[in-house]
Amino acid sequence: MEASITLKKVGKLVGDKTILASLTFGIEKGSLVAIIGDNEAGKSMLLRVISGIEYQEYGQIFINGLDSQKRRNKAMLSLGFVPHELDLDPWLTLEENIRFIGMLYGESMETINTRMIQLSRELHITTYLKKMVKDISPGIIKKGMIIRALIHDPEILILDDPTAFMDAESYRQTWDLLLRFKKEKTIVYVSQSLQEVEEAHDRILVLEDGKIALDGSLDRLLGSTFEYHQFQIEFEDLTDELFMTLSKLPKVKNPSRIGHSIHFYGRERGVFFEVLNAAASSVMKDIRVKKLGLQDLMDAKYAKDGIH
Amino acid sequence: MSTIAFVVLIPLLLHITLTMVMKNIFIYSLDKIPYEIWVFPGIVLLVSILSAYAVLYRDLFDLRIHKKSFIPITLAPFSKFFLVAGFLVAAIVESLIYGILSMIILSFFLSQSLYWYFYLAIPLFGVIFLFLFVNLLLTISILTERITTFLSMIIILFFFMIFGTGILFEFEFYPKMLGIILAYNPFSLVLSELRGFLFSTHINWIWIFVPMITGFVWTWMNAFILKRTLKQ
Repeated sequence: MEASITLKKVGKLVGDKTILASLTFGIEKGSLVAIIGDNEAGKSMLLRVISGIEYQEYGQIFINGLDSQKRRNKAMLSLGFVPHELDLDPWLTLEENIRFIGMLYGESMETINTRMIQLSRELHITTYLKKMVKDISPGIIKKGMIIRALIHDPEILILDDPTAFMDAESYRQTWDLLLRFKKEKTIVYVSQSLQEVEEAHDRILVLEDGKIALDGSLDRLLGSTFEYHQFQIEFEDLTDELFMTLSKLPKVKNPSRIGHSIHFYGRERGVFFEVLNAAASSVMKDIRVKKLGLQDLMDAKYAKDGIH
Repeated sequence: MSTIAFVVLIPLLLHITLTMVMKNIFIYSLDKIPYEIWVFPGIVLLVSILSAYAVLYRDLFDLRIHKKSFIPITLAPFSKFFLVAGFLVAAIVESLIYGILSMIILSFFLSQSLYWYFYLAIPLFGVIFLFLFVNLLLTISILTERITTFLSMIIILFFFMIFGTGILFEFEFYPKMLGIILAYNPFSLVLSELRGFLFSTHINWIWIFVPMITGFVWTWMNAFILKRTLKQ
């Protein structure tokens, strides 16, 4: 498939600290890509560099085949960006904010109004359009920012935490809108909510210290961990001796204890019965078994070292 | 409210606190022009200067530093030169409108009526003067990151504009060397040529073109500084 965004050895320095380290990857047209990672991993900076807010110190970025630095103005026409922080002018109404940006992109007033009304209906914020931004709640402002980014009908939409400040209903409305654009537009977003990423992903990029640690679909990323489960058994009295006995069982991986509970990973469910047998003489209070998800993948120890 | 303040109150305040007082001290300029007529173009430009402060703070500094609404504008498909030129033209036009309105108001307080060409020449020279001044404000607005620095800079600049460009006093009153240096700064050149045209209908075109060329180069430089500051 045709690439919508292509990064070639892109690096970004802030002072002498490397924020993005020689990133090379492409994003296909019409795909929905989530970027996740720890704080300071470089997620937001990556979005800022792709969207043209800041230049990269080295490497090249191509937007629809256009070099984003050499042919910036043309490349910018294809991009819509929603930053994490609220950046609408508080002393203008919501519709004035949106119209102003639409006009800057050379859209006719008629087109701007049609798109604004349609998108605001989908996001249920029509009644707020004539209100001053300073009098509107952050969740509504964020929806307004999404409309602003879409007002010139860009082919690529870049969103930094698109549902930040939103309640459950707004979250759903926003994702309904974004998923409607799936296949039609390329959507790249950063989210702090791993649940959000698990629900909406096409492709996930896990960023770590400015490098791509993992790249692929959720199924692919979790592929190696599919057979892993997380177990938690709470005993009435978890002695050191019992903990050591259970920890030494060959199929028990990464055991740890919190109070009278033992946590461990196991490749097969069979390990669970081995533990039960080994601890048969002790009184158990609670048992939990959980299939691994993105959260577990992001757990630093697990993501970096795997389960030993 | 702020518009009324700029259009009515500031010209009135400047007239009461400056013109009405100074005309009793100086009475005439060195060329025997009544002081209140001599200082009139300067006072009009002073109103434009004050409004340019407000316009640039609102449109650029506040937008960039506090509201963060400046970034989406920079992502629009325009060159930085075009963006800077946009801020420049908007600020010049708005400040000039305030200047023209204040000129009309102030003319009612003068003891003698002005020739018609005063009302034409002051806005025309005002455009050149503001072309330079707004560029200077643009540089400050782009380079400063903190409101305290911005305020300090514009206060210093305001004092310079009042006392260092010949708005209130002729340079002959300054120590000789200082007077010569100040007389040849681009702002002083524009004001001096404006007064030359109004009171002796003589224009030295070189001293008109020098500030204009300085203004164009400065605009280009501001675009470059903006590009560097934004790291775009």
